[in-house]
Amino acid sequence: MKSWMLLIGLLTLTVSGMTQAAGGPAIELEDAQNNLRDQDSLQRGAVLFSNYCMACHSVKYMRYNRIARDLGWSDEQVLQNMTFNQARAVDHVMTRMQAGVSTEILGTEPPDLSLMARLKGPDYIYTFLRAYQLDENGNWDNSVLKGTSMPNVLESFQRHSTPEDYAQAARDITNFLEYVGEPAKLERYDLGWKVILFLLVLLLLTYLLKREYWRDIKH
Amino acid sequence: MAEYDTSNSQAKSGTLLGWLDQRYPLISTWNAHIGEYYAPKNFNFWYFFGSLALLVLVNQFVTGIWLTMSYKPSAEEAFNSIEYIMRDVEWGWLIRYMHSTGASAFFIVIYLHMMRGLMYGSYKEPRELVWLIGMMLFLVLMAEAFMGYLLPWGQMSYWGAQVIISLFGAIPLIGPDLATWVRGDYIISDASLNRFFALHVIALPLVLLILVFMHIVALHRVGSNNPDGVEIKKVKNEQGLPVDGIPFHPYYSVKDSMGAVFFAILFALVVFYVPEGGGFFLEPPNFEPADPLKTPEHIAPVWYFTPYYAILRAVPDKFLGVVAMGAAIMFLFAMPWLDRCKVRSIRYRGLSFKLLLAMFVVSFIILGYLGTQPATPELTLMAQIFTTTYFLFFLILPYTSAREKTKPVPERVK
Repeated sequence: MKSWMLLIGLLTLTVSGMTQAAGGPAIELEDAQNNLRDQDSLQRGAVLFSNYCMACHSVKYMRYNRIARDLGWSDEQVLQNMTFNQARAVDHVMTRMQAGVSTEILGTEPPDLSLMARLKGPDYIYTFLRAYQLDENGNWDNSVLKGTSMPNVLESFQRHSTPEDYAQAARDITNFLEYVGEPAKLERYDLGWKVILFLLVLLLLTYLLKREYWRDIKH
Repeated sequence: MAEYDTSNSQAKSGTLLGWLDQRYPLISTWNAHIGEYYAPKNFNFWYFFGSLALLVLVNQFVTGIWLTMSYKPSAEEAFNSIEYIMRDVEWGWLIRYMHSTGASAFFIVIYLHMMRGLMYGSYKEPRELVWLIGMMLFLVLMAEAFMGYLLPWGQMSYWGAQVIISLFGAIPLIGPDLATWVRGDYIISDASLNRFFALHVIALPLVLLILVFMHIVALHRVGSNNPDGVEIKKVKNEQGLPVDGIPFHPYYSVKDSMGAVFFAILFALVVFYVPEGGGFFLEPPNFEPADPLKTPEHIAPVWYFTPYYAILRAVPDKFLGVVAMGAAIMFLFAMPWLDRCKVRSIRYRGLSFKLLLAMFVVSFIILGYLGTQPATPELTLMAQIFTTTYFLFFLILPYTSAREKTKPVPERVK
């Protein structure tokens, strides 16, 4: 029995070593401290996303009615809160910008944000949103992604609110994008422990069955 | 009137079972492989992984069939269809995570299963064929996993396949043409995706199934080894049954059921709480659609290929690297003949074998880690050192195993 314990120990050490060695972006990321179970935050994030991001970005894998269902809105409410009457509830969440316009103005097409949180992590999004600084020429640049084509869209929001509200807005958008990255995440968390509880009961039963049968085997 | 011979059926005539058994060897097959298959009574923890591999295979078949119902094997639609499965298909996320977690679980189980074989000498006479068929299974499994990984059509799917297929190009003379032939194009493209899909869902699973069948048939011909490495058929009782053997059913069927449930708990923990496996089961860059014009900064294969990838990169010459990578697996095929010690189990073998096996396992794990990292000069040097020790295992073993000071092996299992 000792050999397999040694093996598990070795594996644990290796895996923890590997996790630590994984690289990241140039600057230290802030902790987003967002909470997927905070439905108010998700609702605010959805509205902020619609107002500040959707002019250029889509989340094309999400449908409005799915957002409504998960965020506690009706189909009418989601359209009212996120669109200007140009979409139906079954539609995917597309950008309001026409194709090609962005390339003309900013030199690039804005990426779809459906999976940005899975690609980069929530902390990256949160830090990125807040990492805009004026350089010596008076232009905005971003210390997370130097030379990004994206303008500092939250600038006016920042000017007209307290630092706390500004941080909260970035956190809400981040929260919404994490939700959008995997809408079934909470469902997954909430189902998992029930499945595992069931399996634990089954483990006890199979163990007792095994013990009963093996009573007659002499070692 | 029944004119056919019913004398070799054990079932009563006039019953459904009797009717079936006269027309199909139902009872004799059951008895030969389950009801009266005598397995050593001293199986330990390591002997769960055979039945667990079968369980994971079934998981991959079932979830794979359901994924196929919604997946679209085209460069245009593949990535979208995965997200469609994750969002719009009922329970799609669960089916997909069970399949992706199953792929990694398969390799964990198979590596431990192979480790068991190495520790207890399960590859030695008369089980050489069991080992060889098992090694073929391992090779086909690697091909199956590699082709499956292209299907989500993410950046890492695409560039991983690009790197690995380009290795064919290193073969002298026919290389470049061969690589083009495998891809069906000059780069990984829609044509490659379609053929990988065909191989992943039809050809290779079929081969896997046939090999698993042969693996089990070959095993049941020679009987299972055990942690003591003694032959239970040597000591039999008056009925001619091995004294230290017990029927697979019910003894090991209930024990393996318990093992299966325990495994299912660990599996569920990953599926429901860490399906990305810390970025090792599902790599984050794969959440970005494949882009043939944008090479990722760092291309790393999935964790189960990283030891071989590290060996490939450790060799400065590309073609020789491919040869080394192939040799790393081919040497394992030869284990029954490289190991010349008559004693099977590590329990009764000499210090030299224990040290060599430890060196091999440590090399394999460290190479696995190095394969995930970018190749810096220091890490490449480390990879070269551990590639050397990996191969030294196979090169030293034939010499030391012939001269090993072994402990006395007991007549019967303990």
